[in-house]
Amino acid sequence: MNYFISRVLYLLVVFVVAVSGIFVLVNNMPGDPAYGLAVSIAQQRNVPLDRALEIARNIMGIDPNESLLTRYGKFMSNLFKGNFGYSAFYNTSVNEIISRSLPWTIFVISLATFFSFIVGIFLGAFAAQKRGTVIEWIISTLSSIIQAVPPFILAVLILFAFSVSLKVLPLGGAYPVDVEPSFSFKFISKIFLHALGPMLATAIPQIASWTLAMRGNTSQIMEEDFIRFAEIRGLRDSVIARKYIRNNAVLPLVASLAIGVGYMLGGHTLVESIFNYPGIGFYFSKAIAARDFGLLTGLFTLIVIGVIAATFIADFVYALIDPRVKLK
Amino acid sequence: MINESMVNFYFDYIQPLLKNKKSLIGLIILLIYIFMATVGAAVVPLDMNSNFAERYQKPSLKHPFGTDYFGVDIFQQIVHGSRAVISLTMLASLLAVLIGAVVGVARGYLEGIAGKIIDTIIMVFLVIPSFPALLILAAIFMDKDLNLFEIALLVAIWLWAPLAKQISAQVLSIKNKEFIEASRMLNMPLSYILFSDITKLLIPYIFINFVMQIKGAMEFSVGLMFLGLAKFDPTHWGIMLNYALYQAGALYTAKGFHYVFFVVLNIVLLIYGGVLLSQGIEEVFNPRLRGNE
Repeated sequence: MNYFISRVLYLLVVFVVAVSGIFVLVNNMPGDPAYGLAVSIAQQRNVPLDRALEIARNIMGIDPNESLLTRYGKFMSNLFKGNFGYSAFYNTSVNEIISRSLPWTIFVISLATFFSFIVGIFLGAFAAQKRGTVIEWIISTLSSIIQAVPPFILAVLILFAFSVSLKVLPLGGAYPVDVEPSFSFKFISKIFLHALGPMLATAIPQIASWTLAMRGNTSQIMEEDFIRFAEIRGLRDSVIARKYIRNNAVLPLVASLAIGVGYMLGGHTLVESIFNYPGIGFYFSKAIAARDFGLLTGLFTLIVIGVIAATFIADFVYALIDPRVKLK
Repeated sequence: MINESMVNFYFDYIQPLLKNKKSLIGLIILLIYIFMATVGAAVVPLDMNSNFAERYQKPSLKHPFGTDYFGVDIFQQIVHGSRAVISLTMLASLLAVLIGAVVGVARGYLEGIAGKIIDTIIMVFLVIPSFPALLILAAIFMDKDLNLFEIALLVAIWLWAPLAKQISAQVLSIKNKEFIEASRMLNMPLSYILFSDITKLLIPYIFINFVMQIKGAMEFSVGLMFLGLAKFDPTHWGIMLNYALYQAGALYTAKGFHYVFFVVLNIVLLIYGGVLLSQGIEEVFNPRLRGNE
């Protein structure tokens, strides 16, 4: 229990330092967040740009004389009350945008995690069983080649292959604009169809790394003495494969599952903006383009919370399933 | 003396790598690209003038990789771009390894508050996802002309943390060995213990990690260029890919397929070389992975 509390406190410190760093970074970006709005005000109301900038700043609640430190203090105190800030570009609270976009991100990432883990475990175990054959060679070579494809290139290639050339996948969005959201089969199938592209782009590199990890674990365990002993005892091969080898090989991977999710969160940002899929990453790239500092800081903070939570869970899952690891 | 240690280094570290199939192939791929960047770039001319009569030519003897949207030879651009790609990747990997080694050794050896602070710094860089951070950094530096070193540093900042964590674990396991105790008894300065006693033991490990950084360094630097956020050499493959996909829209026409194909092929092949070499290194130096081969 003591370990639990000290770990939480430690991660809290890490969180505050990380978020402060992000805050400074974002606020050092060039560009005036009020500029875009000011230009349109100047055109519509026919006022000089200086005046329009003033109006825009007023609307967005930006005080040019406010120091970075004051803004930082406000942001932090809001954050601990659960308020992620204000988006100037969308003219609404960041919490509103999070509640709109986070479900899509969680949806796609859970699909990708589930899919890649199952497929990777299966392929890795299969490859280890077929050790020294052509099948093993094909599986491990393919996995290595996939690892060499940068995830954003993979995403672009999937988009162009399936959405532009073959036209079997949609070009963007979470569901078609002309379909009313409902619990009908048609709507739900559309949701899965739209999620398929981003899901594959996130899952395929993960499949490759799960496959390689599972193959490595399995072949290591196959060398262990207790496997030889089980063979000598005359246990059936299928029992040894299932109970002795597979279970022991999967355990350490389950622990790194959470780490994998944390890793995916970062990469998925880019995938969503490439696919125009309206999750966190999509709004993140919009916020960069519009220099919406509030939205940018808020969303980045959310992503960091996700990664920290994943790290935390991974620690505990590891200790739970592996009795050799004791929390001190 | 020096010769002898060189020979030992060869037999201990280089020869086993040449005997492993994966690391040999990986090494050959990397050497081909290094050859391309050094000799190739000096021999192959580069003509960036647009020639609309020859746009989107299919690969032929005259244009081995065909021509692009402006009728410029793609092979020439790839060869000249390899200089920027390889120097950036190597420099970024090197910087990442240096930062990771220094921070990792310091974290492993120092105790108390100092150790805790370094530990927190490492953790902060582990929990901030690199791609979103790179996007913001790139926007900050978009209007500035960064040189090779600065871009490499920008990439390396997001690569060193996992390495620092591994190295600190290694240091923790050797810091209470007798010979370090002896140095401490002799009142040797801290810098001697850190950099002479400890780091010397870790050099092979650090060298291996340099190779493992290649994949990440390549991915990040190509990503930065591909997103069009850092201005650099126009023949850098990441910028070429950005051009092919977004400026020229090469994938919207059937004629432009080879343009994207050859750029992606070279990017993936170079990273694949790095992946194979590091897989080979792992097999050679981690006997548990070798199995009964």
